[in-house]
Amino acid sequence: MALAVKEGANRMSDMKADITPLIQVKNCTMEFPGVKALSGVDFTLLPGECHALVGENGAGKSTLSKCITGENHMTEGELFVKGEQIKISSYGIKESQSRGIAIVHQEFALMGDMTGVENIFVGRYESNFGFVDWKALDKHAQELMNVLKCDVNLHVPIKNLRTAERQIIQLAKALLDDPQIVILDELTAVLQEKDILNIFRIIGTLKEKGIGIIYISHRLDEVFKCCDSYTVLCDGRYINSGRVSDIDYNQLVKMIIGRELANIYPQLNENVGDVILEVRNLTAPKAFRDINLQVRAGEVVGLAGLLGAGKTELVQAIFGNHKIISGEVLVKGKAIHVKKPFQAIKLGMGLVPDERRTLGLNMKFDIKDNTTLPSMKRFKKMSIFQDHKAESMAAFEINNKMRLSYYSLWQNVKKLSGGNQQKIVIAKWMLRDTEIFLLDEPTRGIDIGAKFEIYNLIHELTMKNKAVILVSPEMEELIGLCNRIYIMYEGAITDVVEGDRKTQEVIINNLLGVNVR
Amino acid sequence: MSEYKLKSKKYHGGFKSLIKDWMIGFLFVALFAICCLNSNFRTTTNIMNVFRQASFVAIIAMGEFFVILIGEMDMSIASTIGMVSIFFASFTVNRGYPIWLSFLLVIGMAAIVGVVNGLLVVYGKMPSFIGTLVVLNMLKGINYIFSDGLPISGLPDSFGQMALGKLGVIPFAVILMVVVAVILYIFTSHTAVGRSFYAVGGNKEASKLSGINVNKIALLAFVMCGILSAIGALGLTSKTQSGNVTLGDSLLFDVMTICVLGGTSLTGGRGRVVGIVIGALFLQVITNIMVLMGINTYWQWVVKGIILVSVVLIDSYSKKD
Repeated sequence: MALAVKEGANRMSDMKADITPLIQVKNCTMEFPGVKALSGVDFTLLPGECHALVGENGAGKSTLSKCITGENHMTEGELFVKGEQIKISSYGIKESQSRGIAIVHQEFALMGDMTGVENIFVGRYESNFGFVDWKALDKHAQELMNVLKCDVNLHVPIKNLRTAERQIIQLAKALLDDPQIVILDELTAVLQEKDILNIFRIIGTLKEKGIGIIYISHRLDEVFKCCDSYTVLCDGRYINSGRVSDIDYNQLVKMIIGRELANIYPQLNENVGDVILEVRNLTAPKAFRDINLQVRAGEVVGLAGLLGAGKTELVQAIFGNHKIISGEVLVKGKAIHVKKPFQAIKLGMGLVPDERRTLGLNMKFDIKDNTTLPSMKRFKKMSIFQDHKAESMAAFEINNKMRLSYYSLWQNVKKLSGGNQQKIVIAKWMLRDTEIFLLDEPTRGIDIGAKFEIYNLIHELTMKNKAVILVSPEMEELIGLCNRIYIMYEGAITDVVEGDRKTQEVIINNLLGVNVR
Repeated sequence: MSEYKLKSKKYHGGFKSLIKDWMIGFLFVALFAICCLNSNFRTTTNIMNVFRQASFVAIIAMGEFFVILIGEMDMSIASTIGMVSIFFASFTVNRGYPIWLSFLLVIGMAAIVGVVNGLLVVYGKMPSFIGTLVVLNMLKGINYIFSDGLPISGLPDSFGQMALGKLGVIPFAVILMVVVAVILYIFTSHTAVGRSFYAVGGNKEASKLSGINVNKIALLAFVMCGILSAIGALGLTSKTQSGNVTLGDSLLFDVMTICVLGGTSLTGGRGRVVGIVIGALFLQVITNIMVLMGINTYWQWVVKGIILVSVVLIDSYSKKD
């Protein structure tokens, strides 16, 4: 392994000798307050190549690309664009754009009610005596589409277009300034196979024009289909880089995972009880169909799947917050009919939603009120009045148990760290006799230390015979924490893995729908 | 235990946030002190009069307060007030119903208006501005159809006591306002349902996922707005001794101003009942001093507008930090 690293590095430096790289990052370190997002990362992009930037969530891919576009200022290190050294302190998005760097984000930065042409040129309408010259813009837009060899209707509001077509409009918008460096940040995450092939074709076209592409993706098979070289990051560290043709899939996976999986995760609770939650043939249009799953007391059941596979919709539906058209949910063997979350909560369910800031917490409330929100009615005196003292006492006890760091119960939750906020969202369900915990990406956007604490909390829940459904985009997390993992692909469960089959390979193949076809 | 004491101690963010939280209170005291320089203002009769006039509007504003608290708006109160006034007079004078029955009937009608508003906004998913604006106009039409726009006088003197009666020097109206305010204070801060209004206004989705029946709470807010408007409207009717469709026409602006003066966040989730009471007194003192100084009604409108704009500006700038 070590040898391979060296060889790869040598080969890279050989190539650098005769061509000026478009982008060269040397020894880049990026520190956010309290977190080292990148340390000593090297990166080189050559003209006409597609360079895959791979690694787990939080490995530092986005941070590195933001350093290149000037959105982040690297704390240490050097950046060269087309051989020219950049002064980091004054570097910004404006300068990176003028130097020919463009980025296409996964999230849509488009206006849904405007047409394709309007979206491409928004903010830079070429005017003709103060009036917008739509004819010229139409022509220009059509030229762009010709370059991409795509046929997208640019004259309807883009909310009527398919996701893939909207992605192409984003791409066209990025190409407006004739950039030499294009960063594609998880462009294909929400696309289907056919549309991904189209994106590959476009990448090919761009490469022919000598444009260098930085390709960020979670789908490793894509790396082998369209990329020439790769750089692997892990926990902000540079692992390796080289030609894609020199490695195979398994080698790449090993580099990405990097460390051993053991020790991070608490022991699985093997002593599981009866089935507490059962889902039979649950179907919701456009979200998921024919879902069957069971969760036992003391068990963690994982839900794996790509973005748009229907995981969030499924847990929301179990919780009564997403409309279903057929199928049933059983709690302890009894069919239940929940139409609203408060009914599900009465049956002993608790949801930790994926959007902590907008769905999990009330940002106008303090810690105490957020913690006791679902259990307010339990703290009563004379059966109508709120017993504020008992309430704050209970909030204090549960938050202490969660090792929340705070200075007052009356402190607003807004300024707490992500990990601490998430603890409150979990704590509010622990204050009730919640038996079924639906955790939708509970570790999203929180640092590694807080993650471990959440893992331990999940473990403690299982030791208390609670049932847990865990949704997570991180395979490693699912493998480490779950007794069983249901894998969803485009709204259907394609496989259930447990025991020996609980490996990254099996899950990845299922995630991508390899077994389906 | 000692740690609990430390972490549960009510803290306030120092002098600055004390000022911010009680700004309207301080302003009111200052305004009141300045007004007392005027010898016509500082008579007991005048001051009690100011308090009496503020009382009924304050009760109406407390109704609007609940709707604003959940992040919505009720424009229909102007017509609700007119409806209560004209129908109450008609029931009592034209049909000869006993006062208590007319009372119950009009309060029930106002509650129904609240339900209609709630259904349009909550279940019809209409923006509350539009939904209640429609109700405002339709109800106004109904009021005029019913009464031909003519006032109905001849209400019994005993009913007039509601506005004009006194206990010692304190008008009944003020006692009524204090009672309503105390009940609503206890309701908002010491009951689960009351706290839910704040939760819904602060974050509707999070409240829903935390098990609050958001639709029920929102509906309740509109119904409470209707009922409290009706109580306030009855007080105003009692003062004029006649039922009048136009009774509420100029009140919507005052009510909104009072809510904002009282520190209610227009985006929902923040506000206090006591703020409404102080806000109402504040506005009434200003109106009264302007009357005493001989400033005409049109200028009063301008001044009130300036007050509302200044308060909103101060609020939005202080939030920026």
